Amino acid sequence: MDELDCRILHVLQSEFPLSERPYEVLARKLQISCDELWERVEKLVDQGVIRRIGASLDSRKLGYSSTLAAISVEADRVEQAAEIISRFSEVTHSYQREHQFNIWFTMIAADNERIESILEQIRSALSLENSEVLNLPAKQLFKLDARFKSQG
Amino acid sequence: MKNDISGIERRILSVLQEGLPRSRSPYRDMARQIGIGTEQLLSVLEDWKEQGKLRRIGAIVNHFKVGLGAGAMVVWQVESERTKQVGEVLAGFEQVSHAYERRVTENWPYNLYTMVHGKSPEEVREVVEQMSRACGITDYRILVTQRELKKAPPTYLKSRQGSRAKPPPPHRVRKEVANGKD
Repeated sequence: MDELDCRILHVLQSEFPLSERPYEVLARKLQISCDELWERVEKLVDQGVIRRIGASLDSRKLGYSSTLAAISVEADRVEQAAEIISRFSEVTHSYQREHQFNIWFTMIAADNERIESILEQIRSALSLENSEVLNLPAKQLFKLDARFKSQG
Repeated sequence: MKNDISGIERRILSVLQEGLPRSRSPYRDMARQIGIGTEQLLSVLEDWKEQGKLRRIGAIVNHFKVGLGAGAMVVWQVESERTKQVGEVLAGFEQVSHAYERRVTENWPYNLYTMVHGKSPEEVREVVEQMSRACGITDYRILVTQRELKKAPPTYLKSRQGSRAKPPPPHRVRKEVANGKD
């Protein structure tokens, strides 16, 4: 990635224009041609640097419920647990972390009942105690900004 | 359904959740998929932006590929009177992408959550120490991220009611568009 790639990543992360021809708007901002911008963007997507261009939505304002959940499973059951958890389309991210609670995942679902029901299904599929499942919905948001400064 | 969105908005959401198509005119292609005009789509998205339903549209970058391979979730136990002040201090660090207050449970007393990113685990640890000094909270735990198990865009609507044609997968290269003189 060169300096121009970094500038492109920066503007693409900041605000993708709501316009008929968004890449033309961005190209003007970057003072490069639209063809050059498009070529670079395609390359960054092919390389996997850009996962996708998508919308960050406020799930609550759209009427959905969300939460962060965690479970505690033995090391040799992580794969099985990950597979069970990933099956639910409501699960958006999941990570293995170094802790007694070793699998953490976020969910967006139609309502809290659905979240409770999924957690119960996961708990019973893995024969976990109630104390081995955490449901930690947010009470207050201080920051949500997953934009990264490119390191060049 | 108890979700506060109209029929047309549901159709937009069902296409939008897949990510923007890989095209030089992504909104036009999405609008076509939804079966509405580009202007109508853009106007709903502008409204959503104003109402705060849409935070932003932008590129989601794979941070492993831009040199930020190390990350940790750090949980903090803070007295409720100080939550707001401490949350704001922690959120002020540029290495922090997410900062939330969350519900506590009997066996989990931590109420503030921050995602901290860096080039190496050592760098992340140093930043966390700075954060601790800045807010005066010493009761925290660093939960180092070992592995990503799933990362998928949120699915708001399961069936794609309302989308007329089956959309292309979001990452498919659309040569005809890529090479076209748009």
